[in-house]
Amino acid sequence: MLLSVENITVHYSRLPALRNVSVEVDEGEIVCIVGPNGAGKSTTLLSISGVLNPTSGEIIFDGQKINGMNPETVARAGISQVPEGRHVFTTLNVEENLRIGTTIRNDRAEIEKDFKRVLETFPVLAERRKQSAGKLSGGEQQMLVIGRALLTNPRIMTIDEPSLGLAPNLVDRVYETLTELRRDRGLTLLIVEQSSERALKSADRLYVLRSGEMQLEGNTADLQDGEKVRQAYFGFEEGTPQEGGVTF
Amino acid sequence: MDFAIQTIISALSFGSFYALGALGIGLLFSVLRLINFAHGDFITLGGYALIVPSSAVVAAALIGGFHPVLVIVIIVAFVVILALLTYFLIFQYVQNSSPATMMIVSFALGYTLQNIVVMIYGGRPKAVNLFPELTGQVQLSDGVGVQILQLVIIAVTWILLIALVLFFRRTRAGVQMRAAAEDFRMARMLGVRGKRLIALAFILSGALAGIMSLLFVTQKGVLTFEMGVPIMLFFFIATVIGGMGSLVGAVVGGYAVGIASVVLSAVLPEDIRPFRDACVFLIVIIVLLWRPQGLVLKKASQERV
Ligand SMILES: Nc1ncnc2c1ncn2[C@@H]1O[C@H](COP(=O)(O)OP(=O)(O)O)[C@@H](O)[C@H]1O
Ligand SMILES: [Mg+2]
Repeated sequence: MLLSVENITVHYSRLPALRNVSVEVDEGEIVCIVGPNGAGKSTTLLSISGVLNPTSGEIIFDGQKINGMNPETVARAGISQVPEGRHVFTTLNVEENLRIGTTIRNDRAEIEKDFKRVLETFPVLAERRKQSAGKLSGGEQQMLVIGRALLTNPRIMTIDEPSLGLAPNLVDRVYETLTELRRDRGLTLLIVEQSSERALKSADRLYVLRSGEMQLEGNTADLQDGEKVRQAYFGFEEGTPQEGGVTF
Repeated sequence: MDFAIQTIISALSFGSFYALGALGIGLLFSVLRLINFAHGDFITLGGYALIVPSSAVVAAALIGGFHPVLVIVIIVAFVVILALLTYFLIFQYVQNSSPATMMIVSFALGYTLQNIVVMIYGGRPKAVNLFPELTGQVQLSDGVGVQILQLVIIAVTWILLIALVLFFRRTRAGVQMRAAAEDFRMARMLGVRGKRLIALAFILSGALAGIMSLLFVTQKGVLTFEMGVPIMLFFFIATVIGGMGSLVGAVVGGYAVGIASVVLSAVLPEDIRPFRDACVFLIVIIVLLWRPQGLVLKKASQERV
């Protein structure tokens, strides 16, 4: 296992935001965590990245315990996060944003190659190289932060709600890009989303998180009818949404 | 005409000095959200480092007696090390506290530093004759006399400003510092080493303070343990006027305050002139009522996490 989150409990205050949550991601996999707002998805990713420190449990990355490490050390170990809300540096231009992604690297020649590759993957970033990143549209910003995370040359990339605030066609583009990245360079991905629709299409495995507890884990191939996922997501057996109604 | 030129040079030199001070404060505020009220005392300590530690009334030059290049290097290094020590011994432990807590810690540090000076050097002012050749006048083309030091202050400031701009635009560490100033957590998640970056901000801020020690002592010709306090007040006002968290704003604010002080001295009627500082503060209040966010709008202001 490349990454295993083992029974972590995380507190912001007295009540835990996560209770005994476990997640595993194998090399080359696309794994999705879905769950309603407030389920603890972001908390899980922030714990993996060392921003939050679990009160119990362990996070093992490539055989090494990483909980308790600070965010920069985790990044240097090979985990790159695209956090919720994207967090472009709006006072920096597009190129500078991307260059921050190369902070942890010293292999100049490789950096330049990767830099070119990212600009080829996201031509719109090449066009706007010298523009302030704050001026980009939401979709462009999403491309920028994915590109920036790629430039850290991560062994695993975690992404928090990449579809947030994007028009459906742009969401398709983002997921296309992500699956291509996996295909072309074997990138391992742990993606968090509110909706399970996209996850069932793009991921290999799926977790459903609700109220800080893991409800379900399975191969997306086995969950395609959506019934089990829906039950885990809403937390009841009957009373599923009306026909043709809500997708989530 | 002569008077006008002299006033302009004087205003620019005051403004430059305040701009450097405001920058020293702004650098730490941008990455740490710390308003370092000990900054003025760093300048004081840099001044005292020039002389032999003793409570004698007449100061004997120690470092101040070395070759000028050595004087500059040693004093700047001394204040840089002092600034770094305050980070590693003190501020490091409160860097996740609220900005108010950090500010109070810096106040306490400032008073402590002042008292250390009193303990070592005594509380009485000490005359120091640093770089006396700079306090002379130079004749401009049309015979107007201007103090050399004022021109030096302006030149030094602009050299430092250009150096800082190049640092922030062209170097990896500079770009990282801008990123961290906007979103510290994100920068760290991309591998930027938080502590190292803050230490670098202390180094830059300390270097500015060290240079200011030399300029200030040359100008004043006298050392007092409290001399950092009033100038710190002006630096602080300059950063607030310029817009907290914007380095361009710090420079603009510094010049605004410096120029306002000098121009007021020149134009105020004789009997109001002693209240010049009060008038400056009045203008500050009016500016802040008009633009509470400061003169220069910063593009991003995010809580540091
Ligand atoms: N900074 C915070 N301080 C206190 N509580 C928080 C904080 N962030 C999140 N929470 C709480 O933790 C729980 C999980 O939040 P989060 O991980 O953001 O959920 P999700 O990403 O699934 O929407 C929620 O109940 C939320 O209110
Ligand atoms: Mg979230």
